Amino acid sequence: MPSASPRHSRRGAAVLRTSEQVAVRRIRWTLAIFAVLVLATTAKLVEIQVLDAADLAAVSERQRARTIELPATRGRIYDRDGDVLATSVQAATIYADPRAFRATETPDGLEVPAAAAAGDVAAALAPVLSQDAATITERLEEDRHFVYLARQVAHEMGEEVRALGLPGIGVLVEPHRLYPAGPLAGQVVGFTDIDAQGLQGLESVYDGVLSGTPGTLLLERAPGGLDIASGVRELSPPAVGTDVVLSLDREVQHVAELAAATAMEEYDAVGASIVVTEVGTGDILAMASTPGFDPNERGDEDPSDRRNRAVTDVFEPGSTQKALTIAAAVEEGIVTPSTTMSVADTISVSGSTFTDSASHATSQWTVTEIMERSSNVGTIQIAQELGPEQLDAYLRSFGYGRPTALGFPGESGGLLRHHEDWWGTSLPTIAMGHGVAVTLLQLAHSYGTIANDGVAVSPRLVRGTVGEDGRLSPVPAPPGERVISTTTAAAVRAMLEEAVHGEAGTGGLARVDGYRVAGKTGTARKPSEGGAGYSNQYIATFVGMAPADDPRVVVAVMIDEPWPFYGGLTAAPVFAEVMQAALVALRVPPEGAGDELPTALQLAAEHAARIADAEVAAADAAARAVLEGGPGLVGDAAGDPPAEQAAGVADPP
Amino acid sequence: MSAITAPLRRTRPELERSAQRHLRVVEEPAPRRTLAYAIVMIVVFGVAVFGTVSLNALAAGASVEARGLEAHVTEAERVYAQLVADVAALEDPARVRAAALEIGMTAPGPVRHLALERNLPADGALPDSRTPDEAADPLKPMLSAER
Repeated sequence: MPSASPRHSRRGAAVLRTSEQVAVRRIRWTLAIFAVLVLATTAKLVEIQVLDAADLAAVSERQRARTIELPATRGRIYDRDGDVLATSVQAATIYADPRAFRATETPDGLEVPAAAAAGDVAAALAPVLSQDAATITERLEEDRHFVYLARQVAHEMGEEVRALGLPGIGVLVEPHRLYPAGPLAGQVVGFTDIDAQGLQGLESVYDGVLSGTPGTLLLERAPGGLDIASGVRELSPPAVGTDVVLSLDREVQHVAELAAATAMEEYDAVGASIVVTEVGTGDILAMASTPGFDPNERGDEDPSDRRNRAVTDVFEPGSTQKALTIAAAVEEGIVTPSTTMSVADTISVSGSTFTDSASHATSQWTVTEIMERSSNVGTIQIAQELGPEQLDAYLRSFGYGRPTALGFPGESGGLLRHHEDWWGTSLPTIAMGHGVAVTLLQLAHSYGTIANDGVAVSPRLVRGTVGEDGRLSPVPAPPGERVISTTTAAAVRAMLEEAVHGEAGTGGLARVDGYRVAGKTGTARKPSEGGAGYSNQYIATFVGMAPADDPRVVVAVMIDEPWPFYGGLTAAPVFAEVMQAALVALRVPPEGAGDELPTALQLAAEHAARIADAEVAAADAAARAVLEGGPGLVGDAAGDPPAEQAAGVADPP
Repeated sequence: MSAITAPLRRTRPELERSAQRHLRVVEEPAPRRTLAYAIVMIVVFGVAVFGTVSLNALAAGASVEARGLEAHVTEAERVYAQLVADVAALEDPARVRAAALEIGMTAPGPVRHLALERNLPADGALPDSRTPDEAADPLKPMLSAER
């Protein structure tokens, strides 16, 4: 076989090279194109995954994720024993989408008919919501996307509306603040608005503690709006609000409110306030003011009825302050309880004449007798020896002239001028409780200092908080501040005891069966509203403590414009009623040895027999009235004949 | 024997192989089992789809059950909160007093107290089983029971 010529060999090699180069070139082009595509893809990925990641993630989340805010349950408010004063329940809120009741068009121009007639829906809702159908119709025809038809109504009502299955009508669940005891301690506890924000009282002060932190529920939803059952579901549970435990005792508070309301009615007064504090701790067991209001039914009451007058309103303490003036003098060693003074029934100071409430011959009275008889003249004489600077300093130490550490909204600090601003008659006037103004809480606090062996302890309304573990975290006890010595405090208590139990004492009606009481009456004219001077209206007060030798409770009573106006006649019996309830609530045993069991049983039997006798007598009287009215006729307990009998008598044959 | 080596002489077949080295003998491809491969893929795909759907169904079922339980818990909490409020309203001293007067009860007489020979396990007398920590928190039993 002949071999190929060199020329042919070169041509063949060239052809082969050309073919190989073409293939290589094509591969390179292909690789280049792929490289460009990969680079473009990578660049796009970097743009999506890195540069625009946050924005795109947000867009994605908006499209598919739905975040539902879970409202936190507001904490409860308890009294000192754990009884509920304020709590939250689930209520139903009925709303409507008025767009459902009118024909509309889609963006594509398609007509969407109304889901139902507004009038028909309103007619169906009216009996359930107890509203006028016309009113509901008017709301359904508003040019809005959302209207409330009823907020925070009973859960059952919401279920009833839901069962109707009305188009365009929805039911939401909302927390509703409830005060189970109604008006009990309403001015102290306060209230929230419809969105559970504290507005007044302790609800406002402790709003940050009570409200808790809302939670969130993140869901994924399909394009139709339905939740994706197997989708992302992230729950951040709401933090329940912290409970607050008050120092109030529900039973004592009730007795105080009842006593204040009764006094207001019985003495034809315009208002009454009562404060009950525990000695040593400063715990406020009760703080009542009438007229009151029910936080569950706000709207119709006088706004002034919402005021906690025991801390917001000031008045002249009158003779109740004599105890503080005399305590200062005893502490300064100016007088002792047995110091005898010559006391006339009038005294002139800086051209003004001050008199005792009853005229009497000039007498040699001890300081104790001056307190017992509530002598203005004797107290002024003691104050003159004490001097304005010392009196001013002691009154401020007792808590006058500044708010207490309670921190209650609207709390007043009272009125007490600096002694350098006093004029000639200020010393005698202030010494007997005029020309100075205090809140009832300040007055109770000052007597609490005397009861607590001379150590002032700031009053408090909150004992502690209760977290989710159910444990009470006590609020630190307020520090005490010594104002007078233990000896002076005991001496003043003994004098105050004479003011109640002494023969000439003005506070005899404040006595409590089984206990020795120390206290002081007060009667002060109210300043004129229009200008200087005093009106003919009075403030009657009584402040005291029991048991006198080792006080556990202080009760302060103020009655605004009572008749009769003397504190010893009006405020003192109210004090006795409230003090007895407070001593029982604190389980303070009566003084003296307890009864032996047989004696106690016999006394109890006698008491029961007296009640039974009274009931039998009442039943006899009723039966006699019925029998006298004729057989076969039924009368009520008052003996009034029924209508048929009355008609028979009036219509003789 | 000469010290100079002779040039390497190549035989013709070697030269031809060298000139045609970019070509190779391609063997007849082995018969592919396309049908079996397709069946396996379909089965795998089917199992994957079935598994995914089944898992989704199970997840959806569990989710629905969880929703039901959550609704049950929510309803129980609502009822509990309402009952707490109802109890507090029924214990309201004003209501109790009105109810007592309505059934003919009267206010108690003067407070009396007995001198007992020994303490009784009543209010104020702590049982020995309580720890000092518990005894220092008188509210705990009541509030813990509520929660």
